[in-house]
Amino acid sequence: MMRRSNSSSMSNFSRRRFLQTSAAALGASSCPWLPQIAQAAAANTEKSKHCVVLWMSGGPTQTDTFDMKPGHANGGSFKPIKTNVPGIEFSEHLPMLAKQANNLAIVRGMNTTEGDHSRGTFLMHTGQRPGSPLLYPTIGSLLSKELGSEDADLPNFVSVNPYEVINQAAFSPGFLGPRYAAATVGARNNIVPNPEDEAGDNDEAGFAELGVDFLSLPDGVSQEQADARLRLWRMQQKSFLSARSAETANAQDTIFRRAVRIMNHDAASAFDLSQETDKVRESYGKGRFGQGCLVARRLIQRGVPFIEVTHGAGGLGWDTHQNNFNTVENLSKELDQGWATLMRELEEEGLLESTTILWMGEFGRTPNINNNTGRDHFPNAWTCVLGGGGIAGGQAYGATSEDGMEVTDGKVEVGDLISTLCQAVGVDPETENISSLARPIKISEGTAVDELLS
Amino acid sequence: MASLKRIAVGFAVLCLLYTGHALAGNADDEWEREEQQRLQAASQKMIARIDELINAKIVAAEKSPAPLAEDGEFLRRAYLDITGILPSVATTRAYLADSDPDKRLKLIEKLLRSPAYPTHMASTWRNVILKPTDDIQQLQNQFGLQRWLRTQFSENIRYDRLVGEFITATDSDAGPAYFYASLELKPEQLAAETSRIFLGLQMQCAQCHDHPFDEWKQRDFWAYAAFFAQLERNENPLAGRMQTVAIRDRSTGEVMLPDTEEVIAPAFPGSDYGSDSFGGTRRQQLAVWMVARDNPYMPRRAVNWAWSHLFGRGLVNPVDDLSPQNPPSHPELMDELTKFFVKSGFDIKLLLKTIASTEAYARTSRVDTDEEVDLELFQKMAVKSLSPEQLYDSFLRVALLRDPIGQQAAQFLGQQASQDRLRFIARMRTPSDNRMQFETGMPQALALMNGPPVSTATNAATSGLLQSLEAPFLTEAQKIEVLSLAVYSRYPSEDETKRFSQYLLEADDDQKSQALGDVLWAMINSAEFMLNH
Repeated sequence: MMRRSNSSSMSNFSRRRFLQTSAAALGASSCPWLPQIAQAAAANTEKSKHCVVLWMSGGPTQTDTFDMKPGHANGGSFKPIKTNVPGIEFSEHLPMLAKQANNLAIVRGMNTTEGDHSRGTFLMHTGQRPGSPLLYPTIGSLLSKELGSEDADLPNFVSVNPYEVINQAAFSPGFLGPRYAAATVGARNNIVPNPEDEAGDNDEAGFAELGVDFLSLPDGVSQEQADARLRLWRMQQKSFLSARSAETANAQDTIFRRAVRIMNHDAASAFDLSQETDKVRESYGKGRFGQGCLVARRLIQRGVPFIEVTHGAGGLGWDTHQNNFNTVENLSKELDQGWATLMRELEEEGLLESTTILWMGEFGRTPNINNNTGRDHFPNAWTCVLGGGGIAGGQAYGATSEDGMEVTDGKVEVGDLISTLCQAVGVDPETENISSLARPIKISEGTAVDELLS
Repeated sequence: MASLKRIAVGFAVLCLLYTGHALAGNADDEWEREEQQRLQAASQKMIARIDELINAKIVAAEKSPAPLAEDGEFLRRAYLDITGILPSVATTRAYLADSDPDKRLKLIEKLLRSPAYPTHMASTWRNVILKPTDDIQQLQNQFGLQRWLRTQFSENIRYDRLVGEFITATDSDAGPAYFYASLELKPEQLAAETSRIFLGLQMQCAQCHDHPFDEWKQRDFWAYAAFFAQLERNENPLAGRMQTVAIRDRSTGEVMLPDTEEVIAPAFPGSDYGSDSFGGTRRQQLAVWMVARDNPYMPRRAVNWAWSHLFGRGLVNPVDDLSPQNPPSHPELMDELTKFFVKSGFDIKLLLKTIASTEAYARTSRVDTDEEVDLELFQKMAVKSLSPEQLYDSFLRVALLRDPIGQQAAQFLGQQASQDRLRFIARMRTPSDNRMQFETGMPQALALMNGPPVSTATNAATSGLLQSLEAPFLTEAQKIEVLSLAVYSRYPSEDETKRFSQYLLEADDDQKSQALGDVLWAMINSAEFMLNH
């Protein structure tokens, strides 16, 4: 066992070495990412890059969403519909996204190694299998570190509705340290849309209210009082810091001042959805996912580089071992509304070209339907979707067999997916960070899929 | 001959390890007293020698040492370093008023006797041994190891014995078993981690390939890993007892060099004699080598840890990289202190006491001149960040808060922590235990400013400290004095008294105690409180 896992890491190493050497031998222009990096660097001066991960907690079914198998026993009861790209079909429950297929690249050949929720969640967030003593950072920490600014008024990494208990390490900044941790936005009221509810969009209920943890003042503390506290605090800082010249003391001061800045009205209002009209709020869907997508749009408008929005009914909502079709129908409606509206509004604002979107879960689901009208965990052949900036939309990349059980073309592993995402947002996937074991670790060691990049 | 001697020493240690304390137990009181006197005398000599060597290097660099810290500064530092928590207001008052010229040394001795000392050492070493986690469930499991460590430090078990027991642990109740389980008994991971933790060697870089500039070759790494190749989980027959892990040694199991079929036999790193010099299981063989008095790494690593625990940086820096390419800043001092530690019987408490009794440790962290400070010279005290545990416990101590499950007491007994404490530690955990960096991020800073325990500590309705100051006979200045003593372990400056009194006077009558909460908020979010200086 042990020897095998090592030999695979060795072969990765040799392959990488081989690629580097061959790229050098053929000249820099043959290195696939160099021109894009140069382009990105040029673009970066004008427009910042953003990344949105739409995380489908529980593992979304590919067969009932983006890789339909009509006419096969595995196909299930959903009907495919045409999209605005000839030859590409989505599920009938994704009608709004179908109109934006030209902005989406459907990656149908995902092939991963983990079929357990916790392990799959870690794998897809870090690109690494769990179990290493190295604390691999979550992709949001890695990319926001590259894309963000140390002195921004807003956090560089915001995670909306995370369901972290399944594997906290998968959502953590790991060896990059807490400075690169996500600011989390969670529900402020108890409206949890029931995915099996007939009315999936929860018409009766109000909007899901979301807020940043610890952004608002504690109960009973007025704004006036908080301002007074800060005036006193600044004096305390000044007298201590003036007599010390220490990295720790300066870092404490810097980070607290930054936290104070985000608490100020303008920055904090980014999270205040009541500033949007009801009509806009409704267009995203009233539930937590839809409202989360609206938060994402507001944050992108304000320059936040990385946002992850979780969709899973407050848990592993996509884990449809039973009653797959009713559940997925409702989850799809929410997904369709939130995601499609986010893309439409970003496009209207001219922000879609600088915002890359990745739709994924911890794995896919079995093409065959079990005895409980459900589908089970399936990492062998499943689907992720890329869209927006840097992505060559309007294509389905890769394919699965007629029964959906095997990847027949365009196999993509998690490292390849993450490397592709990196390049789409203009980050060199080979960028190294120093791990806690004093060893440089690349963001991703996979090979980006050129065909997916615009 | 030399190697024979080493083997003999090895067997002697093996006897100590596995036959218990027969020698110590039979010693009579007088022998014990003489032994203690001899150790104390050696410690006194060592203290002077440390200062001699540190000062010599400062002078050679044409710099001057910083003056000694003020009493409050030293008191706070010693409390945080040795017990992990701040002194109470009453303790601080008494210490500041004490005119005994030996009060610093007496303080160090007192703190090393306190039950908070083993608790703090246990959480410190838990962080050295296990990778930090923000998973609350995992953190809870880690407390098993912390309980075991606390027992070791509480009894001041010889450090060589602690290492030996850790390396050979099998008992399901022993905390170390959790360490083995958390690394899934994988030889390569156990090798990488045990060599880092106890030897200060970063061998894991040699796991996949030889490093051109490193002493360790891939073969060395796997030969060391071979000592952990014969482990298996022992399914616990005591059904119903959750979270117990037992491991045992088998007589089979080998490691192979990656990408080959070549079996690598166990061998000690940097050593020319074979593992079969000793009997027992593979791990017992490793333990015998590791704890031998002349092991070139184990005692140096412990000495470097102790130094770095008190000064923020080791004589070798980073603290757990003792490779020959990374020499100590003070080679002579490193050698002499290591020799002292070994001769003292691997006495961790005496080692900490000796270092903490030096002038170097008692220097201020203030910088009053423009002279550039070279941290490597130990010219002045470093400004260290607090561990999440130190911070949480200090918040509670300052505001006279009780942890929800009556926790202060439970904590000292090494019991599991409350959910609030766990959540706080999980949120504030840092990836390294390098206290020379303040790694807290913006979301954590928001949580500190607006969340518990600070919100509870600064709210007049919930803060024990603020409630205790509601007595009508206290003047504004007296209240401010108490806050300053509680938070900073010093009397307030004139400026502070003036500034805060003014603020309290301006508050409406029904807002007085909340205004005091505002002052407390400003103090405990300040760098002076959040850092150990």
